[in-house]
Amino acid sequence: MLKRNYALACMLALTLVFALRLNVCFAFDQSQAQAAVANADGGLASAYVAVVEAEQVGGNVTQLVASLQVAGGLLDDAHDAYRLGDYDAAYSSASNCSSDAFGIASQAANLKVQAEQARSNALFFTVALSSVVLSVFFVLSLLGWRYLKNRYEKRVLGLRPELR
Amino acid sequence: MNLGDCRLLYVLACIGLALIIVSPTLAMFVRLPGSESFSELWILGPGHMAEGYPFNVGANEAYKIYLGVGNHMGGSEYYVVYVKLRNQTGSLPDNVNETPSSLPPLFEYRFFVRDQETGERQVLFSFGDVSFDGNTSRVQTLTLNGLSINVNESAAWDQTNSDFYYQLFFELWLYNAALSGFQYHNRFVGIRLNMTIPFQNPK
Repeated sequence: MLKRNYALACMLALTLVFALRLNVCFAFDQSQAQAAVANADGGLASAYVAVVEAEQVGGNVTQLVASLQVAGGLLDDAHDAYRLGDYDAAYSSASNCSSDAFGIASQAANLKVQAEQARSNALFFTVALSSVVLSVFFVLSLLGWRYLKNRYEKRVLGLRPELR
Repeated sequence: MNLGDCRLLYVLACIGLALIIVSPTLAMFVRLPGSESFSELWILGPGHMAEGYPFNVGANEAYKIYLGVGNHMGGSEYYVVYVKLRNQTGSLPDNVNETPSSLPPLFEYRFFVRDQETGERQVLFSFGDVSFDGNTSRVQTLTLNGLSINVNESAAWDQTNSDFYYQLFFELWLYNAALSGFQYHNRFVGIRLNMTIPFQNPK
């Protein structure tokens, strides 16, 4: 039993070492880096559009804009690394940027749904309240007019000369 | 005042009050035109003030400036600032035709700025492999925020201003969602630089 566990542990360790080594040795060429940077560019732009859509329906996007700034920094790094011919670094930064952008876009979409729901509720509440207040005001204004009219007529009638 | 006048006055007052009552609802549907939308782009000197900008520069010396972007566009915006280097004859952006410089960008800064807010970055730069040959100076590398870029830019001696004229300038581009791309936002700022020959002590 002990031998079997030991063999399993050795195999796991070897697999881990092999995987790490593969990762270290793996290099990206120019076309792969270029594709990753272009993908990150598009992903970040889409995330920005999603954030703006959430903002337009009244969502609080302060945190999302800060996250976009961080992802934008990664994309800057990717572009700079690509210009310098460091395709591994360009690919890595672009991949991280794409991943961040995807998360931001997803959060923005959720925020948009929540903001739309909140806006719809607020709209219903405001319209309902305005309608009630307007109805009460309409009734009161009619009663007010009747009162004012009576008062006016009484005053005009009070001006008539009386015969004794 | 007769009864007809009183009625008119009363109806007008009621309409005014009714509009006040429904104004919160109207505000949710009606969008009033906002103020003029624009963006700002600026550079500040090393002391974070509009002074002390680097002018006489030499090889392998680091200089610091601050680059800022202000958003007054009415919503969050996505900006890219392209950094470019030119000599006396290098292309500059055209403010009239709203076209950018044809020079390739050396570096870029991305800014995501909310409405009525600003973004700022520190720009550290230095020049390397600077050579002088008669009336010409040549800069081989520009290091921006730790990244060395091969610029290979030369400048002839400017008799009028007595300098080897270079300009490090920054162009503001704005993301246009309708076009799915960046558009030059017709704003640029730059600093004039005079490449100096290092002083050599004669022995």
